[in-house]
Amino acid sequence: MDLSVRIGSGTLPNPVGVASGTFGYGSEYEKLIDLSIIGALYTKAVTPEPRPGNATPRIIETAAGMLNSIGLANNGLAGFKTAKIPYLRTLPCPAVVNVAGSKGDDYAKVIEELAGEDCIWGWEVNLSCPNVKTGGLALGTDPTEVEQLTSRLRKLSSKPLIIKLTPNVTDITAIARAAESGGADAVSCINTLVGMVIDTKALRPVLPGKTGGLSGPAILPVGLAAVYRVARAVTIPVVGLGGITEADHAIQYLLAGAHAIQIGTANFIDPTVHQKVLDGIQAFAVLHNLQSIPDFHQFIE
Amino acid sequence: MAHIVTSVLENRPVAQDYYELRMAWPSWAPAPQPGQFLTLRTVDGPVPLLRRPFAFSGFDRADSAASIIYQRRGHATTLMTAKRPFDPFDILAPLGNGFPDPKSGRRPILIAGGIGMGPMLFLAERLAQTPYPGILIIGARSAQYLPRVVLSRSVQTILCTDDGSAGRKGTAVDIAREEIRQEGCAPELYLCGPHGMLAAGHALAEELDAPSWVAMEQTMGCAVGACMGCVVRVHGGEEYARVCMEGPVFDSRTIIWT
Ligand SMILES: Cc1cc2nc3c(=O)[nH]c(=O)nc-3n(C[C@H](O)[C@H](O)[C@H](O)COP(=O)(O)OP(=O)(O)OC[C@H]3O[C@@H](n4cnc5c(N)ncnc54)[C@H](O)[C@@H]3O)c2cc1C
Ligand SMILES: Cc1cc2nc3c(=O)[nH]c(=O)nc-3n(C[C@H](O)[C@H](O)[C@H](O)COP(=O)(O)O)c2cc1C
Ligand code: FES
Repeated sequence: MDLSVRIGSGTLPNPVGVASGTFGYGSEYEKLIDLSIIGALYTKAVTPEPRPGNATPRIIETAAGMLNSIGLANNGLAGFKTAKIPYLRTLPCPAVVNVAGSKGDDYAKVIEELAGEDCIWGWEVNLSCPNVKTGGLALGTDPTEVEQLTSRLRKLSSKPLIIKLTPNVTDITAIARAAESGGADAVSCINTLVGMVIDTKALRPVLPGKTGGLSGPAILPVGLAAVYRVARAVTIPVVGLGGITEADHAIQYLLAGAHAIQIGTANFIDPTVHQKVLDGIQAFAVLHNLQSIPDFHQFIE
Repeated sequence: MAHIVTSVLENRPVAQDYYELRMAWPSWAPAPQPGQFLTLRTVDGPVPLLRRPFAFSGFDRADSAASIIYQRRGHATTLMTAKRPFDPFDILAPLGNGFPDPKSGRRPILIAGGIGMGPMLFLAERLAQTPYPGILIIGARSAQYLPRVVLSRSVQTILCTDDGSAGRKGTAVDIAREEIRQEGCAPELYLCGPHGMLAAGHALAEELDAPSWVAMEQTMGCAVGACMGCVVRVHGGEEYARVCMEGPVFDSRTIIWT
């Protein structure tokens, strides 16, 4: 059995990654988890300038999920280079840098400046950020813009380029196809769903920014349906995520057409989740005599 | 910091809506310090989802036991009240930074408001074994919220209530001000409790030009520094600091109190 995953010019040792924003840069979890078994570590978003992030509270629990409004808090490109790159060099698993910004130039700048770093395995482009050009609409909602940006970024680096899709669109497959025509090596989906909670005692939204991103078990069926549809709309690999807390959920994503998966919110809850999911996928493969990841795709039309 | 699946030893009410939960402490696990906290999972399923943070209220290596004091508030803490001896207890601990020792010659004044009593009891017991024991001042809304059964004889303790139904009448910070004036000491303040009380304690520290340490709270996601969820606003280069990493204990002068 070989459960490695080929994406563009790179190979991931196994299909189980940890999602951007939920695992820091790895060092935060090294005392709790054996990082060498991680298929891919997607870093917290990197933007050209440092971002302090949003006002508090930034997190609120919802039914089987949570809303976050972190606001892409990160040290910026310069801070990332001095404070995080040396650590990533020691990381025993592939590091995928999650790239964010509010306009195309921001994304290009991050990739351009980091392209020469050997410790970076590839890029995951977070297109869910509010777009200054369109006055706050997420960059990832317009197929034409997505295709243009993808082809622009494609030229800057030969490392694997993964476009991360937002579910907050009418037709996620149109965006996925745009990423593919722009030259993406893979798409990952889903990012968080826009959500809101109102405090009926205080008569105001709980999050100062009013809305936040919904993640966790509650979004599993949404992520799964998105992956199922996207995997049938494009020929590049799909990385599935959203709501995975156990092996069964990850296997559902692989059966739906994903080549790899990511664990997000569940990292907060169970530090052993990664190992359990990986073990469960392997056991499932043995049970059904599956030799490689594409073999998972034969069951569901 | 470690992932520890231990067992409950005891879970008993100590005041109205307040409980003390003692858990077995494995010998391999790092010792918690006053001010540090744990996060716990109440159920295996998805509701409640997130781990909940609680400060240690005591630790005894000889007894192989650690404890927390918690208040029943919402879903998770209500489920906690049903924990029985030998129930498994899934925690991440010890997390965050504890309280520093007092500066030499300073008299430690420990001020606890409501549910902030846990870490203050722990710190008071620790200091009672040193040459610089402190005064512990516990403030509550009224008599039924005072956890008399967990108080230690070896700690000089003053109880006070907002309504005067037990102990002295007034807020813990006001009583602290009176005590400091009476003793004429050079104090060092340690505070844990509601935000307003911490801010009042900081103002007192400014007034007395005394060092002061506050244990902050913020809703948490990961509790290990990864998600940037648990921040508070601080002075200096970085606009925010993480309660779970840089805190929960902060020098009160680093916090932006507005
Ligand atoms: C560092 C730290 C130490 C704490 N120590 C103690 C303690 O010693 N004793 C004690 O009784 N309480 C303590 N708390 C507060 C305790 O974590 C909350 O009361 C508890 O999470 C409530 O859970 P619930 O489901 O019962 O209530 P909910 O209905 O979920 O919430 C009640 C309140 O608790 C807060 N809360 C909810 N979820 C979280 C979370 N994931 N992280 C932080 N706060 C949350 C919210 O602000 C909310 O207003 C501490 C909090 C922090 C951050
Ligand atoms: C606290 C938090 C921070 C996040 N930050 C980022 C981020 O910086 N960039 C990004 O692309 N996605 C970010 N995400 C989204 C996750 O990577 C993931 O797409 C989403 O949470 C769904 O997966 P889950 O249900 O397994 O958590 C964040 C999610 C959470 C909960
Ligand atoms: S709770 Fe995640 S950084 Fe503190």
